[in-house]
Amino acid sequence: MSRPDAERPPDLTASNLTIAYGNEIIVDDLALSIPGQAFTALIGPNGSGKSTILRALAGLLNVGNGAVMLDGQSIARLGVKDLARRIGMLAQGPVPPEGLTVLDLVKQGRYPHRSLFGRWRREDDDACEEALHLTNMEELRNRALESLSGGQRQRAWIAMALAQETPILLLDEPTTFLDLAHQIEVMELIADLVDRRGKTIVAVLHDLNQAARYADYMVMLKAGSILAKGDPNEVMTASMIERVFGVVGNIVPDPVTGTPLCIPLAPRRDRARNRTGNMLRSDNSGGHLT
Amino acid sequence: MIAILTSLILTIVALLMASLSIGDVPLSWRDITAALLHTGYAPQTETIVLDLRLPRALLALLVGMGLGAAGALVQTVMRNPLAEPGILGINAGAALFVTVLIVAFPAVSIAFLPWAGFAGASATAALVYALSWRQGTSSLRVILIGIGVGSVVGAGTTVLMAFGDIRYVQRAMIWLAGSVHDGDWHRVRTLLLWIAPPLALACMFWRELDLIRLGDQTARALGQRVEHARGMAIVLCTLIAGAVVAFAGLIGFVGLVAPHIARFIAGPGHSRLLPVAALTGGVLVMAADLLGRTIVAPAQLPAGLVAALIGAPFFGWLLWRRRHVPA
Repeated sequence: MSRPDAERPPDLTASNLTIAYGNEIIVDDLALSIPGQAFTALIGPNGSGKSTILRALAGLLNVGNGAVMLDGQSIARLGVKDLARRIGMLAQGPVPPEGLTVLDLVKQGRYPHRSLFGRWRREDDDACEEALHLTNMEELRNRALESLSGGQRQRAWIAMALAQETPILLLDEPTTFLDLAHQIEVMELIADLVDRRGKTIVAVLHDLNQAARYADYMVMLKAGSILAKGDPNEVMTASMIERVFGVVGNIVPDPVTGTPLCIPLAPRRDRARNRTGNMLRSDNSGGHLT
Repeated sequence: MIAILTSLILTIVALLMASLSIGDVPLSWRDITAALLHTGYAPQTETIVLDLRLPRALLALLVGMGLGAAGALVQTVMRNPLAEPGILGINAGAALFVTVLIVAFPAVSIAFLPWAGFAGASATAALVYALSWRQGTSSLRVILIGIGVGSVVGAGTTVLMAFGDIRYVQRAMIWLAGSVHDGDWHRVRTLLLWIAPPLALACMFWRELDLIRLGDQTARALGQRVEHARGMAIVLCTLIAGAVVAFAGLIGFVGLVAPHIARFIAGPGHSRLLPVAALTGGVLVMAADLLGRTIVAPAQLPAGLVAALIGAPFFGWLLWRRRHVPA
């Protein structure tokens, strides 16, 4: 787990990627290079292909055209176990089997590091301990998963993925279904893993403002194509939000972090009774928020 | 774990002793010991113990172990706590082939019945698996197709039952009821040789089973070849359950209930779950057979019937206990 920051960052790149389910093309000729040891957020409306792209990056999909390359090698050519030692992936809302404890689950993360009948080793224990520690799950290790709150359960799954000790971690909507406090907790954990552990993390996120606040790199998707990518400050503009989500909004600096904050204008309420909306629209500086 | 295994084995030994002693001719401990030691001073007792009661009890044990382990396998792979080996079409297929043999070819020796049963079980399971394959398969698809194929095959059996010669149909019905009453050493030996290798293999692959139950995506992301693991578990399950059905007919509920009892006492990890489920299944079928041949003696209820009588209320309890678990 304690990979030195100096280690060469992994290079995960998709080129000419085309993915279709049946005749329906989900992702069309996509090119994306994931910055190493940084936090990338995939943003886009429902059905924009975010999760599909994430699964393709994890090597879980048969891609029709193009390739996903890891350090210059096509991941389709890598063995499943070899790949699982380099890229970890957490699916959206996984359902745990009944009766499983947190520790039982975290231990599964060691699977790719063990041979078919290999014994449980000291380093397996160490990796599990560290994963429990990082996710603050040490106290809850012997609790059954179904007895945990949604936030704790999500942390348990992340702990399992951390025990996998992969330099790259892909998370599909890690904050969906969590309340605000738990969302922040998970986002902080992700930022921490990137800053202090040198992990490369890609997450599909729904909350634009959270993504802008925490991500180093932002990818805006619509209908399987990338409309913008780069620093959240450059990507998150009012015109881009309108193009991608069809929502008219104002972008103001987050009063806490200075990152872009999207304030959608609510057309109906706006017209009916909220005159301050006009004020917001005419003044894009955000100064009125203070 | 040692305590769990010891108590299960002690229960089995107790049931075995009870099975040897209880019956039309009640036998004392001394009679049984003498017979087991081959002292030869009471040949009639020796026949009762060694040729009738002991093989029957051992066959019940093996049948139960097979059903318990196969049930645990199928529940894990299907990720469905209400699954049992029959979901793969194993029971329906065995029933059809055996009924065809008995009703349509009454001249064929009954020695072929187990083979017909096993062939039917394997063929149907293979058909279910093949039909659910579409660039890989999924647990839900296997379950749905298993139910569909099971109904069609079951309809075939019903047609034969409805139009066949009544004497033969009755023989088929007796076989279908599921019983170990015709247990002899030949059957015990054959079944043991048949199910021991797949049982051992299943126990050795506990790690794959622990992983696949997390779901296809998660297991794959952790480096498992999910299709291989699922295919292997289904093959092992078919071998075990098919052999059991071939020798004992249709004994329901044990494959469903034994894994639940095992999970309750040994937890969800397969290194413990599989052996405990097997032994629990053994206890259940031995007890069912013992009950079946004593409660209405001299008439005998088939073990399959007794297992269903015990199993049905348990099934209800299981559903009731899970009433708050969202499907």
